[in-house]
Amino acid sequence: MSANRAQTLEQLAHLCRAGRATGVLPATSTGWTELDAVLPGGGWPLGTVVELMPTATGIGELSLLIPTLAQLSCAERYVAFVSPPHVPFAPALDRKGVRLERLLVIETSNTVDTLWAFEQTLRCNAFGAVLAWCTTTKDREVRRLQLAAESGRSIGFLYRDPAAALTPSPAAIRLRLHANDRGLTVEILKCRGARSGMTVAISPDKHASVRASGSSLQPPASSL
Amino acid sequence: MLWLCICLPQLPLEALRARDDGIPTVVTSCIGQSRWVICRNQAAERQHVKAPMNYATALAMCDELKMLERAPNAERAALERLAAWAYQFSSTVVVGEISSRLHEAQQAALWLEVGASLTLFGGLRALVAAIETEIAALGYTFKLGIGPTLEGAALLARAGIRVAVTSNAALRARIGNLPVQHLALSAQACEQLATAGIRNIGLLLELPRDALAKRFGTEMCDYLARLTGQAPDPRPTFHPPAHYDARFDFDFELRNSEALLFPLQRMLRELAGFLRAMDACVPSFELIFEHREQAPTALRIGLSIPERSPEKLLTLVREHLARTVLAAPTIGLRLIAHELVASSARQSDLFSSALQETEALAHTLDKLVARLGESHVFGLQCIADHRPERAWRKARPDEKRSGMAFPERPLWLLQQPKPLQLASPPMLVAGPERIESGWWDGADVQRDYYVLCTDEHAKLWAYRDHERNGEWYLHGFWA
Repeated sequence: MSANRAQTLEQLAHLCRAGRATGVLPATSTGWTELDAVLPGGGWPLGTVVELMPTATGIGELSLLIPTLAQLSCAERYVAFVSPPHVPFAPALDRKGVRLERLLVIETSNTVDTLWAFEQTLRCNAFGAVLAWCTTTKDREVRRLQLAAESGRSIGFLYRDPAAALTPSPAAIRLRLHANDRGLTVEILKCRGARSGMTVAISPDKHASVRASGSSLQPPASSL
Repeated sequence: MLWLCICLPQLPLEALRARDDGIPTVVTSCIGQSRWVICRNQAAERQHVKAPMNYATALAMCDELKMLERAPNAERAALERLAAWAYQFSSTVVVGEISSRLHEAQQAALWLEVGASLTLFGGLRALVAAIETEIAALGYTFKLGIGPTLEGAALLARAGIRVAVTSNAALRARIGNLPVQHLALSAQACEQLATAGIRNIGLLLELPRDALAKRFGTEMCDYLARLTGQAPDPRPTFHPPAHYDARFDFDFELRNSEALLFPLQRMLRELAGFLRAMDACVPSFELIFEHREQAPTALRIGLSIPERSPEKLLTLVREHLARTVLAAPTIGLRLIAHELVASSARQSDLFSSALQETEALAHTLDKLVARLGESHVFGLQCIADHRPERAWRKARPDEKRSGMAFPERPLWLLQQPKPLQLASPPMLVAGPERIESGWWDGADVQRDYYVLCTDEHAKLWAYRDHERNGEWYLHGFWA
């Protein structure tokens, strides 16, 4: 019986190794050398769902993906924004090299539609990357999205509440995003095929360097 | 000529519904004073209900029997839809008549001349297999017969002889032992033949024709001559219409859209068969849901790329239906495709991956638009205007864009600027950038834009509105 078990274990180990060897999908560069260095395959793996959990709006959570979006859209792949919280500002996207002809914005009125539209676009092989904003997402739904991304060989970026970082999720890559004086910090909570727990600092925009302290024009603090 | 006959014994029932629900159901028709069962489903058959049978007797055998009134128009419509569908297999299609006679109710048939199609489809076996798969997917019960004459093929189909009989001599030999009941003769004539001791077709065919004519009328002689190929049997053939217009009438009301999907699926498959026959695709089509009292509901479905795959068309219809509220239960459906476009251009390029991608994109876009509405799926376009809220607009995804040079701008713009409220004083990162514009169109602005950084290191795009006493507004995020 023990021989049998040893054999089973050996088979399992073999399967695991085989999975690791072939499991790494081709990746597309994130555009940030620091981040590429820690991700398996040197970038965002194709056919995966990446969860992004920014601590606040405006810390560079979208700028992080702009090099990827620019690269994909110039390579004739489509990029979709599903249920974005604000208007994706065309002049800014255009200036940063995202081809607007390849960009699609999809507005939804409820979570069910958001997840549905996310899945449809991920599954379609014309899309290279799909960004979706969804506050409540169940494990089962993330798994569905993961399968859709695999069949469409696209990357799904799911923006979630920072509180979601506390609960586990089946997404292949989970990143918590914070900001400090120097710029954006990416904390890798989970990464299939690589070490987790690392943090990578990147500075997404040039404002960080021209930062001036103090001014006569102080905007008012809230009266609340 | 080699005819393939598709005999549809259950047509009176199947023309009225696309799916069997397992409840014992019969289709009846009034003959004189009494009502007769002319067709029954399997559940009714299990209760020993037969066709033909007096309806009162049938009710006595099964009290939960559901009764539908025979609708010859629905049967004719179904047969016409099938003729258009069958046109993909043969350019000579003959549509049988819907007989009002009791014992002929289960003899509705369609004929395809297949002698000329054999090479195209890779032999008789492959052709028959293709037809069987397709027609089963439509949800019809059918019997096939292949013979040298129309009536011969129909007889073989009714008798369930699944052998292709190619010559008149072989036909005579093959049908010789069949009982005369299989012939398309009146019940009365069959009885007369039985009393005369003529039990099988072989015996009947050996009798001298003039004696037969004297005893049973010339009609029977003509029929036998057409059956055996001794007399020609000219019939009008089906001509494909310039645009597709099919209808499906139910005898009952369909209340929910899920139930509608079954007849819709059948109709779209039939349309697909017709489109294959015409080597065409549809750029759009119209569905009309008919109600008993209210005005019909029309649904127009457009496609980014002309399509003919029934599965793709059905997913689109399903999404549209999920968003449509039908005013009343549906009692009939119409499917209209006004315009057909040639698909030859598509086929030449079928294997190029770029084209497949375009098609996949078009189908995904159609699905999104069907479910979310046209105004919620859009692309973005820059506009040369200094005012941020006017520097962009929604655009069709495939619209051409022109390059424009804008200064540094934030990635998120608020739909509406809102009064800036912060818990603690932010830091000033950049600014001011004066934007003063629009005095000519009445929406003039005078603003100083700043980049602010909050405690959480979030960067905001805010402005002081000089038209409102220098009040602060939040207008975007450097996300």
